[in-house]
Amino acid sequence: MNKFPSLVAGFLACVCFVSCQSEEEIKRERYITEGILVYKSNCANCHQTKGEGLAALYPPIANSDYLVNKNKVICLIRYGQQGKIMVNGKQYNRPMPAHPQLSDLEIAEVVTYIYNQWGNEKKVTDVKSVAPVLEQCRIKLNGPLTN
Amino acid sequence: MLKRKLIPVLSRPASFWVKSKQWFVLSGFLALLWACGGAGSDRLPILGQREAVTKTVDGKEVTDSVYQTIPDFAFVSQYGDTVTAKTLDNKIYVADFFFTSCPTICPKMKVQLKRVYEKFKGNPNVMLLSHTIDPAHDSVAVLHEFAQNLGVTDRQWLFVTGDRDKIYDLGQKSYMVTAQADSTAPGGVIHSGAFILVDKDKHIRGIYDGTTEEGVDKLMTDMDKLLAEPVAPKS
Repeated sequence: MNKFPSLVAGFLACVCFVSCQSEEEIKRERYITEGILVYKSNCANCHQTKGEGLAALYPPIANSDYLVNKNKVICLIRYGQQGKIMVNGKQYNRPMPAHPQLSDLEIAEVVTYIYNQWGNEKKVTDVKSVAPVLEQCRIKLNGPLTN
Repeated sequence: MLKRKLIPVLSRPASFWVKSKQWFVLSGFLALLWACGGAGSDRLPILGQREAVTKTVDGKEVTDSVYQTIPDFAFVSQYGDTVTAKTLDNKIYVADFFFTSCPTICPKMKVQLKRVYEKFKGNPNVMLLSHTIDPAHDSVAVLHEFAQNLGVTDRQWLFVTGDRDKIYDLGQKSYMVTAQADSTAPGGVIHSGAFILVDKDKHIRGIYDGTTEEGVDKLMTDMDKLLAEPVAPKS
């Protein structure tokens, strides 16, 4: 007789857990779906649809050791990057253009896509975590906003 | 169905007729296809302006059509030497227009042209000619590094630079592609992603979308066709 309430509680806990998890999962899938579109129209020209890069011109994103620097990746998407860079032991030296037109959310989406597809991640890189990183880089590049 | 059940005797000849009629139609259709494919359409068209020229040969008036040809030019390759129309004599070639710092369609075009390069690598009758439309930035050294990075180390694929106006002029008037400076476009230049196929007589034989795989598949098929074409007698 005493078992019934605890069973119900357990069942509810289970339902809650599953639905919480799937809410996170839905968000991840939403980010990835949007991220694919951002990737195709802004990155795939040079880095290719499968992220393999192009010969010694443009470095790969897929299985790239550069992905460990996630904050750098976030910033170079918006602000571009100049000069030599090492990826998987190979040197590349071609400027990457800035993408000032991409919003914080779009950058979060494309980063989520890249890290889920090629960076062994199974989680969302939330816009809330991307925004302060971008702000830090902006300050570093332009100095603090003056009113 | 209904008829066949009612008069089984008639069903066989009737169905035979229906079947053989299908065969007649099918074989007729195939013959038509063969006729169309065999005679005319296998030869690639000659594109561009043409004009009728009447001249006197052996006392007779002969009217001939003169096709648009790529005129002579002089640019500098990634190796620093001069490239003229003569460099491409007796070769079919693919021409395109790009610039090394182009963030939009050029990387796509280079991926696709690399496929063409790989397919015809070592074929002495085929060349590729990429013109920069940003010669102010794309010096010989820049083009050389770009070609090296793309994995091109021979003379089968030349990257050329030169006088900006001459390149634009040749592109627009002779290769029939668009290219113009536009400060609002990413990279500062708008230009077409076309690949232009030129035959041994310097006639344009096809224009293809160099940004898509399908466009370039078609180009490669047409290059095979063009290579197989018997040499036209010189008039």
